[in-house]
Amino acid sequence: MPKKRKVTLGTIIIWIVLIVFSVWTIFPFFWTVITSIKIPGERFTYGFIPYVQFQPTSQNWSNILSGPEQERTLLGLKSSIIISAISSLLVLCLGCLSGYALARFSFRKSKDIAVWILSNRMFPPIAVAIPFFLMMRSLRLLDTLPAIIIAHTVFNLPLAIWLMRDFFKELPKEIEEAALIDGCSVIQTFIRVALPLALPGIIAAYILCFIFSWNEFLFVITLSYKNVMTLPVVITGTLTVVGIDFSRISTLTILAITPPVVLAAFTSKYLVRGLTLGAVKE
Amino acid sequence: MAITKRYTGFFFLIPGVAFLLIMGIFPLIWSLTLAFHKWKAATGAGKVFIGFKNFIDILTDDSRFWNSLRFTVLYVLIVVLVELVLGLVLAYILSEKIRFRNFFRILFLLPMAAPAIGVAFIWRMLLNPDAGIVSKIFAGFSINIPGLLTNAATAPYVLMLIDIWEWTPFMFMGLLAALQSFPPELFEAASIDGANGLQTFGYVTLPLLKPIIITLSLLRVIDAFKLFEIVFAVTSGGPGSSTESLSFYAYTTGFSYFNLGYACALSWIFLWIVLGISNIVLNRFRKET
Repeated sequence: MPKKRKVTLGTIIIWIVLIVFSVWTIFPFFWTVITSIKIPGERFTYGFIPYVQFQPTSQNWSNILSGPEQERTLLGLKSSIIISAISSLLVLCLGCLSGYALARFSFRKSKDIAVWILSNRMFPPIAVAIPFFLMMRSLRLLDTLPAIIIAHTVFNLPLAIWLMRDFFKELPKEIEEAALIDGCSVIQTFIRVALPLALPGIIAAYILCFIFSWNEFLFVITLSYKNVMTLPVVITGTLTVVGIDFSRISTLTILAITPPVVLAAFTSKYLVRGLTLGAVKE
Repeated sequence: MAITKRYTGFFFLIPGVAFLLIMGIFPLIWSLTLAFHKWKAATGAGKVFIGFKNFIDILTDDSRFWNSLRFTVLYVLIVVLVELVLGLVLAYILSEKIRFRNFFRILFLLPMAAPAIGVAFIWRMLLNPDAGIVSKIFAGFSINIPGLLTNAATAPYVLMLIDIWEWTPFMFMGLLAALQSFPPELFEAASIDGANGLQTFGYVTLPLLKPIIITLSLLRVIDAFKLFEIVFAVTSGGPGSSTESLSFYAYTTGFSYFNLGYACALSWIFLWIVLGISNIVLNRFRKET
């Protein structure tokens, strides 16, 4: 029964709430972008409409991308990309295997194992930071990419196993059973049937792990200091004795937050699911 | 399930579990053994076994620990409560069909996806007393905003505000998804029976939402307890130690003073608190799956 949309008090309230909350959410991002395209001397001014109230400049961007800061920025970008991409890949390789086992095989206590795995996600990272530091020091891995890749793999693996278990459980198992009856081995069934069917879930889990690894901070500052430096750490490096340099920080911050924010926008359905550890499924 | 070959199952399960045991559980046990030692690495002195002394010192004679615990608990209680109430209101208002729903859903997700360090710096710039836009806006109304972050009475609440900005969407999106999963007939039935909006909310919506509210709040509590980045980037625990969180105190003890044994003991006490709360959530997950 199609009804004509009426403007009621209810809809007005809804739109006011929506607009207020949107402004509250978006303004900090917006202002950071604006600061990053203002001439440093003008950053104290109100102006927020480029070309109308102030002349935008790419000076801050060229400072960090090609100027004196270039080396640091590129190091940050490189470290962030390598660490997030490789650790998420490792996480998903292990996570698909274990998740499949927990979804499809009957173990004694398989539920307990699954919940134990998830409990690893809840440890405060600081509790393992010191042993990690000592471990990486004795392995001579401090301040190298592998140290942080390993740390982020441990950090993300529980979530990936838990999510992959859910994704595999949601697949109709009749298809895998048919493959087994047709003479596929368990491993063939897993590789040729289950994995392709779960591909959307795998991609979503990979992106989630990528975002969490990109954003992780504590392990990076405790396990590295010079040769490896992800973007969040590069931002904190801008704190100088002189105070904070708004132009530089805002530019670097935009650089650091854009990749995870864009990825999240594309996987918004899964982000809530991942953050709530699967308690909320959209 | 047709697959009952248990050994094949173990083959699938073992790599992940082994990795977690070696890289997750082993470090924790190592940390526990260190907690029973005095080890000030900065002085070059070796480890000395001292039994429970670190734990006793922390619990009986460490005002900095109690201060950080008090701040962290207060922080967690306030942010989770505010986020829950705001999230509930928003989810309820927006649970009806609205246009551009997908657009708003993505928009509200963005703060959670940004690195906490980035969020902290964004707010540090906004709130800067000299050049920040917030003090400029207030100055426009000729209200002088004192240095909110340099005052021990207000700094904790500023950090909470940042957390609320970043994580209200978590509650909101979670509750909204839950609300939309309920059959609309439930609410229609209530209104046919003569319930007004408030009654429907109190007698139908809230009881339905209760399980997910508890789960989401506990997840948020666990996460908020680990508060580190915002403190690190915005206040470094100051002014004084008014905004020192448990994570930050343990971090400083371990990585600035290199008082490793003591830091491990601190982080284990912290771990027990978090695991106590986690157990409640994990039991809920166990029942659901």
